[in-house]
Amino acid sequence: MSDTLSHSETAGRDLGGCPVMHRDFAPAQAAGYHWELADELRETSPVFFNAFAQGYWVFTRHDAVRDIYKTPELFSSESITPWQPDPIYRFVPTQIDAPDHIKYRRIVNPWFSPRAIDAAEPAMRALCRRLVEETAPAGGCDFVTGFALRYPTEAFLSVAGIDPADADLFVPWVEDFFGGFSGDPAGLEPMAEALEGIREYWVAALAERRSDPVPREGDLASHLLHSTFDGRPLTDSELLDMLTVLVLAGLDTTRGTMGYLFQHLAEHPEHRQRLIEEPELIPSAVEEVLRFYTIIFGDGRKVARDAEFHGVQLKQGDMVYGLVSGANRDPRAYERAGEFVIDRERNNHMGFANGPHRCLGMHLARRELQLAVEEWLRIIPDFQVAAAEPLEERGGGAMMTLTRLPLAWEVPS
Amino acid sequence: MKLTVDGPSCMGHGRCYLMAPDLLTDDEEGYVTIRDQTIDVPDDQVEAAEDAAGTCPEQAIRLTP
Repeated sequence: MSDTLSHSETAGRDLGGCPVMHRDFAPAQAAGYHWELADELRETSPVFFNAFAQGYWVFTRHDAVRDIYKTPELFSSESITPWQPDPIYRFVPTQIDAPDHIKYRRIVNPWFSPRAIDAAEPAMRALCRRLVEETAPAGGCDFVTGFALRYPTEAFLSVAGIDPADADLFVPWVEDFFGGFSGDPAGLEPMAEALEGIREYWVAALAERRSDPVPREGDLASHLLHSTFDGRPLTDSELLDMLTVLVLAGLDTTRGTMGYLFQHLAEHPEHRQRLIEEPELIPSAVEEVLRFYTIIFGDGRKVARDAEFHGVQLKQGDMVYGLVSGANRDPRAYERAGEFVIDRERNNHMGFANGPHRCLGMHLARRELQLAVEEWLRIIPDFQVAAAEPLEERGGGAMMTLTRLPLAWEVPS
Repeated sequence: MKLTVDGPSCMGHGRCYLMAPDLLTDDEEGYVTIRDQTIDVPDDQVEAAEDAAGTCPEQAIRLTP
């Protein structure tokens, strides 16, 4: 990985001696590659300038990544992909800065609060159980396509008050959107078409609800139609931007995390056994999955003003990339950082980011993951990876996810 | 027993109000409502308070007699 180009200038920029590399983080790789890469980058360079796309700063250690998250006035969320400073989508409230950000968050936060998730849990558990029960007699499945995307999609739609059968529409849209998110040119057209499909779905859903005099019970789109921002109703574009990001952020991330969680359980029978015997450990095991198998390779921000930051001189408009995946394994921040510690206490990982943009869906995601472990281990306590070829993961420009995870188990005769 | 949340340390992980739902709750921004405040812990909530303090990733929760 010694592709350092120079220590002086790139694109006419004086980088003050900062190392320069040229790295395309997008291609698919062997499973686990991105964590090894993040580990190596963290231990070799706390910061470097990546001369990919228009060029951007990469911060690799826990302290700098945390400072990026905690300094939103310097690091704007206007773009969160450093290779795309002016993206074709606009996520609300993800890409909104203060003071408007919190006004949008107040509208959607109650929908994803622990109380709301408690209320949704019986329905989520039922559909999780049904999926596992349908899968069990086959003695094996591709976990990624058979369960890991299907279940969070149905769970999300159920929380949003949408017919879970519409998961058939959302699953391919989510695939195509994230195929282009990493900056792969071949993925841009399917990405745009998927965005259009999702927007049209919500346009129709909003049109059907618009004339309701009061919000429909348990219906997120209807709730948003009756919400106000600074005393005015939300505009159509705000409504669509909010509903779209909820779909995209809620489905792919949980799918990715779910895949690595179940790969880990398949390869560690002692951890399966421990969770069966001590189910009270499932929440801390899920937190450790979020730390150790962080699927967000890095998180981007746009620099709002000239400033010195962790040893380099940033200019307004520069893009920065904080490698959350490596920061969560930084031995400067965690004991036994490179180990999966199933009962780790005080796990202050940044798997849900940090600061004001902390993941809106964190309580939903945690619960989905916990329920998946509970229900799967109850019905299929013993299972293995059954892949003839090595597992692969999608490129880490966006979020890592296993492209497939064949699992196998004994079916009682 | 009293429970204090150190405001600047609290990062909104949301683990405390999950561990002690009858004692702590979240505000509209996802943080625990009592940042920079001290509350009395009822006797039947002592165990939940200890769980919440023990789970806080930032060690922002302090228990005092």
